[in-house]
Amino acid sequence: MRIAARVFAHPVVRTLGPFVPVVLLWWLIARSGIVNESFFAGPGVVWSEFIDLVRKGILPSYLSDSVTRLAYGVGFGLLLGIPLGFLVGLNRWARRLTWPVLIFFQAIADIAWLPIVIVWFGFSLTAVTFVIVYTIVFPLTLGVVAGVDQVPDELVRAARSMGASRFRVFLEVIVPGSLPAVASGIRTGLGYGWRALIAAEIIVGTSGIGFMMFDARRVGDVAEVFLGMIILGILWYALDALVLAPFEQATVERWGMVRQVETTR
Amino acid sequence: MTAMVIDNLHKRYVDRYTGEEIVAIGDVSFSVHEGEFVSILGPSGCGKTTVLNIVAGFIEKTRGTVTVGGTEVTAPGPDRGVVFQSHALFPWKTVLGNVTFGLRMKGMDKARREQAGRDVLELVGLSGFERKYPHELSGGMQQRLGVARVLVNEPAVMLMDEPFASIDAQTRRKLQQDLTALFELRRPTVFFVTHDIEEAVFLSDRVVVLSGRPSTVRDIVEVPLPRPRNWHAAVESTDFRTTVTRIESLLSGEEAHVGDGS
Ligand SMILES: Nc1ncnc2c1ncn2[C@@H]1O[C@H](COP(=O)(O)OP(=O)(O)O)[C@@H](O)[C@H]1O
Ligand SMILES: [Mg+2]
Repeated sequence: MRIAARVFAHPVVRTLGPFVPVVLLWWLIARSGIVNESFFAGPGVVWSEFIDLVRKGILPSYLSDSVTRLAYGVGFGLLLGIPLGFLVGLNRWARRLTWPVLIFFQAIADIAWLPIVIVWFGFSLTAVTFVIVYTIVFPLTLGVVAGVDQVPDELVRAARSMGASRFRVFLEVIVPGSLPAVASGIRTGLGYGWRALIAAEIIVGTSGIGFMMFDARRVGDVAEVFLGMIILGILWYALDALVLAPFEQATVERWGMVRQVETTR
Repeated sequence: MTAMVIDNLHKRYVDRYTGEEIVAIGDVSFSVHEGEFVSILGPSGCGKTTVLNIVAGFIEKTRGTVTVGGTEVTAPGPDRGVVFQSHALFPWKTVLGNVTFGLRMKGMDKARREQAGRDVLELVGLSGFERKYPHELSGGMQQRLGVARVLVNEPAVMLMDEPFASIDAQTRRKLQQDLTALFELRRPTVFFVTHDIEEAVFLSDRVVVLSGRPSTVRDIVEVPLPRPRNWHAAVESTDFRTTVTRIESLLSGEEAHVGDGS
């Protein structure tokens, strides 16, 4: 029993273990022939497709295109959404003036913007970036506002009665105090941004993972479509495991401000 | 010297939703001397927290004056340190980070403030916990930190709003004992809010007894117990018992007839 526990505690087993039954099921379905082969590619076929696309250099270049676009979108999204959130969260007038507008624009789905964005910017990086920034800004802004609201009054009062100026209160209390909600706003925003990227690439794209998948569909290459889906999952998982989760572990979890979430490492 | 004067304080709240007016404080006047421990006692909802929040500068008064160290109170400031019932520690700061917060705001350099922080942590029995985060401490230890964090700034007056109310009875006794020892050692000026008669009598030099809402001062009772104080001696002394009884009868609205203490 103890050996089993040790094996399951190993990071590699803990990370990949849960996928074993998924892959097994996938393989079984493909193998059984319930589904026509031209609609459903098995693990083996997808793997050789992967090797092939890497060798031709298509996959690395598409992947870096997608990641670059996401990085641009996310970068501008954070730069815009976080200050906007604090402004709306802290200033009564800013909140009154912008709240209805925020709710209104939040309701227009990202891809609903694509037609007009293509008219404005053509099939370009700007168009894709615009859509991603748009998708990220609203959940992020609303997340920051929620974060500001959830900072207990007494913490602000405590800081004020220990001589903190309003600006120091912002830096020392509001910013860290809102971090749990800000972190989950970033998580939600990134998730939406990620989806928007793929949607944008499918419609706008001339390269990228989303484009690859849709292009493969056109020529009926099911294995490539499957491969694209798997890469999407792996990328998000890597982002979560390497960036988001460690950040949350080092901050809000360490401080006991949120319940410990399942660690990915 | 008088540290704090409250003169004809009056507070009316307007309910945000119903627009209904509530007079929380009718007319309250008293003063606290430097190095004195004064409690304010009254039934729940009579406006004790309101008085403390006005002194702290957290809320506005409707009428009257509050002066601390000779200047009128208008906003929160480091001359009035507050110990909250909910502790109100910064979860993202370590014990040392919490205790040195006020000194850092004052601009004291790192070496000096950390030394001062360690000294006061030692005083409240938190040595060795400097690197812990507040959530890693027990409730009692959290409130020790809450006291240390204020004490280290040497405010003109320490304001404490039912600081031990959410702590289990046994630990509460210990904390009251340790607060008394701390007070006897450092002689800060303390304004203490409680609804616990025994706690008020044990800790205080004088107890301001409030009536129900809208509150007025029923009486200000001197506590004749000598210092240093400890719980064992206190509960066995007749002075303690008569003072408690006197306050009980003041609160129930009767005239005190059992041995007029003061
Ligand atoms: N912000 C507020 N708005 C309206 N009424 C309030 C507010 N704060 C306190 N009150 C009312 O004022 C009275 C006194 O409250 P409080 O000072 O908290 O009493 P205590 O601390 O003695 O229990 C209570 O009846 C309470 O409901
Ligand atoms: Mg109260």
